Amino acid sequence: MKLNVNDVLHDVADDLVDARMPLLWALRDVLGLTGTKYGCGVSACGACTVHLQGRAVRSCVTPLSAAQGQVVRTIEGLGAPGRPHPLQVAWISHQVPQCGYCQSGLLMAAAALLAANRNPSDAEIDAAITNLCRCGTTPRVREAIRAAGRLMPAAARRGGAR
Amino acid sequence: MRRRTLFASGLAGAGALLVGWSLLPPRSRLGAASTLPAVAGEVGLNGWIRIASDGGVRLAMARSEMGQGVHTALAMLAAEELDVPLDRVTPVEAGVDGLYGNLEVFVGALWFHPRDSEPGAESASLSASGWMLRKLARELGISMTGGSTSIADAWEPLRLAAATARAQLVGAASLQWKLPVDELGVRAGVVQHARSGRRAEYGELAAAAAGTRPGTVQPKPRDAWTLIGQGAARLDVPAKADGSARFGIDVRPPGLLHAVVRHAPAIGGSPGRVDPAAALRVPGVLRVVRMPPYAGADAAVAVVGRTTWHALEGARALEAEWRARPAGALDSTRIVEELERTARAAAADDDGFAFHARGDAPAALRDAASRVEAVYRAPYLAHATMEPPNCTARVAGGRVELWVPTQVPGLARSLAARVAGVDEAAVQVHVTYLGGGFGRRLDVDFVGQAVRVAIECDGAPVQLLWPREEDLGHDFYRPAAAAVMRAGFDAQGRLVALAANTAGDAVVPRWIERTLPLLASPVDLPDRTTSEGLFDLPYAVPNLRIAHSATASGVPVGYWRSVGHSHNAFFAEAFIDELAHAARQDAVAFRLKLLDGLPRHAAVLRLAAARAGWGTPPPPGRARGVALHESFGSIVAQVVEASIDAAGPRVHRVVCAIDCGTVVNPAIVAQQMESGIVFGLAAALHGRIDIVDGVVRQKNFPDYPLLTLARTPRIETHIVPSTHPPAGVGEPGVPPVAPALANALFALTGQRLRELPLKLS
Repeated sequence: MKLNVNDVLHDVADDLVDARMPLLWALRDVLGLTGTKYGCGVSACGACTVHLQGRAVRSCVTPLSAAQGQVVRTIEGLGAPGRPHPLQVAWISHQVPQCGYCQSGLLMAAAALLAANRNPSDAEIDAAITNLCRCGTTPRVREAIRAAGRLMPAAARRGGAR
Repeated sequence: MRRRTLFASGLAGAGALLVGWSLLPPRSRLGAASTLPAVAGEVGLNGWIRIASDGGVRLAMARSEMGQGVHTALAMLAAEELDVPLDRVTPVEAGVDGLYGNLEVFVGALWFHPRDSEPGAESASLSASGWMLRKLARELGISMTGGSTSIADAWEPLRLAAATARAQLVGAASLQWKLPVDELGVRAGVVQHARSGRRAEYGELAAAAAGTRPGTVQPKPRDAWTLIGQGAARLDVPAKADGSARFGIDVRPPGLLHAVVRHAPAIGGSPGRVDPAAALRVPGVLRVVRMPPYAGADAAVAVVGRTTWHALEGARALEAEWRARPAGALDSTRIVEELERTARAAAADDDGFAFHARGDAPAALRDAASRVEAVYRAPYLAHATMEPPNCTARVAGGRVELWVPTQVPGLARSLAARVAGVDEAAVQVHVTYLGGGFGRRLDVDFVGQAVRVAIECDGAPVQLLWPREEDLGHDFYRPAAAAVMRAGFDAQGRLVALAANTAGDAVVPRWIERTLPLLASPVDLPDRTTSEGLFDLPYAVPNLRIAHSATASGVPVGYWRSVGHSHNAFFAEAFIDELAHAARQDAVAFRLKLLDGLPRHAAVLRLAAARAGWGTPPPPGRARGVALHESFGSIVAQVVEASIDAAGPRVHRVVCAIDCGTVVNPAIVAQQMESGIVFGLAAALHGRIDIVDGVVRQKNFPDYPLLTLARTPRIETHIVPSTHPPAGVGEPGVPPVAPALANALFALTGQRLRELPLKLS
């Protein structure tokens, strides 16, 4: 089976994965991309959010059959060393993370939102970001998304936005 | 600066350094450099500090980072005293040693009233008990991250360790350059002599520094601080914004196998006959392992697979008989009714263990001109850390290696040694980042399970994970509680009597039984956590009796962020609001009158009220409620502004004021207040664990909702400046928000909500 993750085409041994296997476990346990987290396994918490063809999906309920031949992007591919995604810049300047466990999923959900809409309204942010966070980072998430949206046009000119 | 160093005397002839050392208690908390693992190219100066050849500071990190910012705050203490930029300090594994034992968490277990424990007003018995407990805790040496104590515990020893290391480094320069210490300064990790222009980096001086002996060293005075008190950025945030932060479930030793746990559906149940055949037929499933009960967990079964998915599929396919709880199925509705009966009976007889009493509350209640009585209830709650319980273990060649997100690495090591049948010295513990703790990781049940499974896996490392359903269904829950609250006013309308009778399970004896069985008492001693937040109420009421009746429901209970305060603050501050209403007084003014002689509490309450616009009309459709609560040494007031919409109560704004003593990092204090408020609101609005016929009804997040972004209020935190010693911030933000919200909902609707979670009828 072939998986295109963060612009790298991975050949995954067929004896280790099958078409029903959720993308989450292929990323974490087969490819070693552990930035994407398990939180509930039932698409309720969003800790496992990744991009499939640029769309935010919950990888714990996305079977590999749906990911084959598609472009998968994970937190490891959101920015690049020395060229962070504007959301990552805003996440640091707003000091969003606490325990940090749910943050990859939050960032990927926010990145999909901003890719479609750099200036989302409160209601649009509320609708797009349904991830759960136990530490209560949510008060800062909204502000950081706004700040990243403001950074994005400049970043896009530098080719930093994805 | 009063850094008294006597290195000058060393100029006369090397070695003749000093005094001062002998003045330290024989078991000081400085520790020997040998306590820290040796690393090539780095020089250990004491049990806390190693200096790298490039001058970088390695700080022995004996506290777990679970979101509360402790790695950053402790690094700030070291950077301040060493005069290095914060980013030059790198936390490194401390290992397990008594040196890193948490003393303050034990002192916090004493039940002395705050009016007797204000610095300067401490009673002799309090000082003596504190001293004895610190001695005892030092002997036990239990490394623990909990009780909001990390900064209070590290405040003196860590600053002294860093200051001593600095003195040694400066001393080394002094000896090499034959210049008096007084003429040397440090800037950004470089020792300098202004007149001669000589300079040397810490990395160049470290080897020589290790051989010097400092004189009497004092931490910097307050007015010399450049870092403490600044809102420095957290050291762990960059790795948490790019996915590289490593949590327990992220460790990937070569050859790693994955295991998932299945317990009996019922709490207290166990596996009966287990037929592994069906599970083993699932491709990628390698083993089925039965696990006896460890450290309070129920017996269970683990399915081992090549990936977590294989293990999950195997666990789904597993054919097993599940036995019921031998003592009968638990039922939370019946338990809470029984708690209420117990509290009512104790109130009728003025019974229960009185954690605090003054005057004659029973007589004053009897003689009161008017009385108010109310019954309050709180449910069981789960921790629901976003990273579910997990532990990675390798058992090979008589040695055990653990990678575990834990708040108690030493207890994890002891249990692993016991399960594997090896000496503790043969167990190496690596503490990862914790994807939330909230008290769940003060228990080590999952460590025993992981070691048990690893024993079966021929030397391969195994990562054992609890699926979310197992986590919610087999937690050590925040105990349910009930309270009968009674108060009496005299004919002039003054509050003259207050009595509280609470009932609920004790947490501490249950936790000691399962994690430190050698210390378990044959009978339960009074547990401060059952009454904390009530017996220590700050209000001046002449006749007071705060008593608790400890129960034994059989439900596994544990420490849950803010512990007893999590429900007692609700009972206390919602009832105080009832009393203010009965007295026809403003809720803030009523409290202020009762805070005579406690200026810190009054200042916090005034600050929150002022910033929230208390006394001015709220926006249309909204109302405000207030609560004041002291916990973990910190005083917090919150004003909640709420309305009601189609989805129920909606909190728009929370204004929070805190006095947590000396502030190390105000940005982290603000973050922790936001954290506590959101955590507390999730519980106040939604949190409940129901046990029906022995089985927890809440299976996963859809049944155990948290606060979503859409429902998250605006939160403002205001800090009262203080020169008191630092106190806790990880927990104190939680307790006041539930009563503040209940009080706002009363103002909005006239309904008194006396049961958590808050549901309007």
